[in-house]
Amino acid sequence: MVIVMQEGATDAQIQHVIDRLVASGFNVHRSTGESHTVLGAVGVHRDFDHRDFELLEGVREVMRITQPFKLASRQFKPEGTIVDLGRGVKMGGPEVVVAAGPCSVESREQIFSIAESVAKAGAKILRGGAFKPRTSPYAFQGMGEPGLKLMREAADKFGLFTISEVMDASQIQMMLGYVDIFQVGARNMQNYFLLRALGEVRKPILLKRGMSATMEELLMSAEYILAGGNFNVILCERGIRTFETYTRNTFDIAAIPVIKKLSHLPMLADPSHGTGRRDKVPPMARAAVAAGADGLLIEVHNDPDHALSDGAQSLEPNSFTQLMAELRIIAPAIGRRIA
Amino acid sequence: MARNSAMNLSDWRRRIDEIDKKLVELLNARSQCALEIGKLKQAAKIPLYQPDRENEVLANAETNNSGPLTDAAIRRLFERIIDEARAAERDAMHSSSGTEKNEK
Repeated sequence: MVIVMQEGATDAQIQHVIDRLVASGFNVHRSTGESHTVLGAVGVHRDFDHRDFELLEGVREVMRITQPFKLASRQFKPEGTIVDLGRGVKMGGPEVVVAAGPCSVESREQIFSIAESVAKAGAKILRGGAFKPRTSPYAFQGMGEPGLKLMREAADKFGLFTISEVMDASQIQMMLGYVDIFQVGARNMQNYFLLRALGEVRKPILLKRGMSATMEELLMSAEYILAGGNFNVILCERGIRTFETYTRNTFDIAAIPVIKKLSHLPMLADPSHGTGRRDKVPPMARAAVAAGADGLLIEVHNDPDHALSDGAQSLEPNSFTQLMAELRIIAPAIGRRIA
Repeated sequence: MARNSAMNLSDWRRRIDEIDKKLVELLNARSQCALEIGKLKQAAKIPLYQPDRENEVLANAETNNSGPLTDAAIRRLFERIIDEARAAERDAMHSSSGTEKNEK
């Protein structure tokens, strides 16, 4: 931690800060400059709150050097985490893994038809919601457990893994039988009770960035799951809320290289929610792969115009197949491959 | 010193190496004093950080300064020496009391 004192801070103020630092167990490096005195504090404790020092008289700025996220930090595992789903599908390695499927499971015909086409196109994971956190309580809320059951059957038939969103800790036990990856949605990113419960699970967790969460907040949420002993955490950028309304969210592509540098966890991208518009999904998917995403989460619907949720941002199977073909050309340019 | 303008680069560097050797000895002798002070502070329950004494040390250093280093430069160098002395005193205080309350 580095503390910059205000210009003209008195000796008494500086001494008080040093006194507090020494009492907190830091070794202090004092450096008196022409206008500012800078105090370096070495030996920060894990539970230390640097904001305590921002409030002291005469302090201009306090900068942390170490990150508040420890287990999620790249320093903790410099070589990177690989989430192994089995059957040779690994996230965080050279392969870009694609999860595709409808926003919500609507019927047997729908999920089987979509599963077949995305599997053919090269997707490895079938996505689909059974519990939908909709903005309106009157909108379609999802099929629940029967939807998960259909998704499992469809995935098994076409050799796919499954991912679905968990809304509440009470659903975990039931969902264990159907999903290969638990998804935590943007709205639940800071539901710490749910995150703690998922830390106890021994299945991979995909954690989506909250719509107004900073990258550091995303990593702090991952920390909750990791602290419970579940090291198979996958992060996902899905767009953040900005002043721009033309797209549903502003897809923050820069988050991909930033998170890859700060953390060892695989980083996926969801260009469907990132843009909210079907025609904007392929360009953003291509950009995400080029930016180094370890995988994609893409909404695909066999009849998007009649989808019960998020039809506007769902690709038709043909467009998805074409997108996969384009991604197969982009990935090798940065030393990656795609099935 | 008989050595003068006839000295080349490697001569000066050798000279610096000799001075550094003495500096290390002196700094360690000083650090030994700090360790003893740490033990005494621990026994007498005096706080580790003594700003008045630190100011006195800095003022002494400036008074003794005859250049070419500026007083500000001497102050900065001594701030680092004091930082290390404080750390050494802390270690001495902990090892003499047997408590390790400030795990790093």
